[in-house]
Parts: sequence; C-alpha cells; structure tokens
Amino acid sequence: ALVGLSFSGAIGLTFLMLGCALEYYGVYWPLFVLVFYIICPIPHCIARRISDDTDAASSACRELAYFFTTGIVVSAFGLPIILARVEAIKWGACGLVLAGNAVIFLTILGFFLVFGRGDDFSWEQW
Amino acid sequence: MSGFLESMRCSECVDWGEKRNTIASIAAGVLFFTGWWIIIDAAVKYPHMEDFNHSYHACGVIATIAFLMINAVSNGQVRGDSYSEGCLGQTGARIWLFVGFMMAFGSLIASMWILFGGYVVKEKPLVYPGIAVFFQNAFIFFGGLVFKFGRTEDLWQ
Repeated sequence: ALVGLSFSGAIGLTFLMLGCALEYYGVYWPLFVLVFYIICPIPHCIARRISDDTDAASSACRELAYFFTTGIVVSAFGLPIILARVEAIKWGACGLVLAGNAVIFLTILGFFLVFGRGDDFSWEQW
Repeated sequence: MSGFLESMRCSECVDWGEKRNTIASIAAGVLFFTGWWIIIDAAVKYPHMEDFNHSYHACGVIATIAFLMINAVSNGQVRGDSYSEGCLGQTGARIWLFVGFMMAFGSLIASMWILFGGYVVKEKPLVYPGIAVFFQNAFIFFGGLVFKFGRTEDLWQ
C-alpha cells in the first residue's frame, strides 16, 4: 500500500512540475499549490492530538478540522483556475496542475485512511 | 502486501449515520471556501473601482463574521443543557445566535441589493462582479446553515 501511495504521489507531483517546466508554459506560479499540499494534513493532526479519539464518534474539533481541510483542498483547486483566468499561467498548465492536485489529494487521503487507524494495525499495513 | 485487498472497505461496512457530521462539515467547507474564491476571482479580474467597487467586500466579511458567530454556539447551549454552560449563559447564547443570524440574513440581502442596485439598475456593461458578490454571500450563507444544522450533537456524546 505504501508503494502504491508513493507512486501516485510521484505521478501527482510530476503533473505539477510538467505544468511549470514545459517549454511552452515556462512560469513557476503553480508551485504555490505546494503550500496547500503541505498544510492540508495539519488541521486533522491537530484535532487528533486535542481530542482523545476513542471516546466519541465525532467531536466539534474534528468537524472543524474537516471544514478547514476541505477549505484548503478547495483553495488548491481555486488558485490555478484564478491564475489561468488572469493569464498568469496558460490553461493547459492549469489543467495539468488540477490533475496533479486531484492525484495528490487522493494520495494524502489514502495515506490517512491506510495509516491513520492506529498503531496496533501497523503489522498488516504492508 | 498480500493483505492489501482485505483492508479495502466495502460500502455496506460504513455507517452513514455516523458520518453525517463529517459529510456536513465537508459540504459546508466546500460552500464557504468556494464563495470566497468566487469573490477573489472577481477582485483579481476587475481591479478597477468602476467595474467592481472594492468596498463591496464588506458584505462578504460580515457574512463570514456571521458564520463564525452562528457556529460558535452549540444547540445545547441555546437549549440550556446544564453541562455546556458557556460564559454568557443561555440568554447570552440566544442573543449571540440572534445577532449572528441577523448579520447573516443582512449580508445576503445586502448582496442582492448590490447586484440589483449597483449593477442591474445602473445598466452597467459588466454584471459579473455583482453576480460574484451575490454568489459569494449566498454560498457563505448556505455553508453556514449546513454547518450549523447539518451536524447533530448526538454524535458528540
């Protein structure tokens, strides 16, 4: 599972880099979505630290974390679209970045689903 | 790696009732942030004041404050459940919620006013900024409603 996730992560980053580095596109503005990739797991981790995950099915803190994480994901999709609309990047680059976004976020989601369950499951993750 | 397929979940195994809060939070997040990105898009496309008067941003800011106010109090505090007594008490919670909803409805109405009074009536050639303001506030409003009423507090027990 880890290998599969690493592969899809690499594919996603490849799309992102292609969106910047191809001769026809040439500008590096799309790299700003990397910021969104990095901060995306943070609300979830904070909520998990604060609330003891075992006692309630859900809690206000976890829901707030989901809210902000969704916001970060939406922002990572919105930024390339706005950059393309003001002609800072070309629409082809925007499309590549959006595809890369989708793959990376699915990878991060998969990471949390597979590895987020708890330490006692670690022996069967591979 | 041989256990990989066993760890995949089937859709019948997931308890959708328990996920209601999660789904509501995610839907509210999508609505709220889409609203803000719509106005960012309009502000970036039309930087001049004649096309898009940037003081119209105040409407969205008030809507966001209203969103925060509405969701800061839980339904338990408004009902007066004794275990979730906030610093203002039950009456304070009700007044807070009342002011929050007033601001939310006010910003929604203001956005409609901006669209019709500022763009349609004046017959401006460029209506998109007015539509953007309206949709921003509508999305933020509905995001707030979904976040407030889409979640059930029974799951917090």
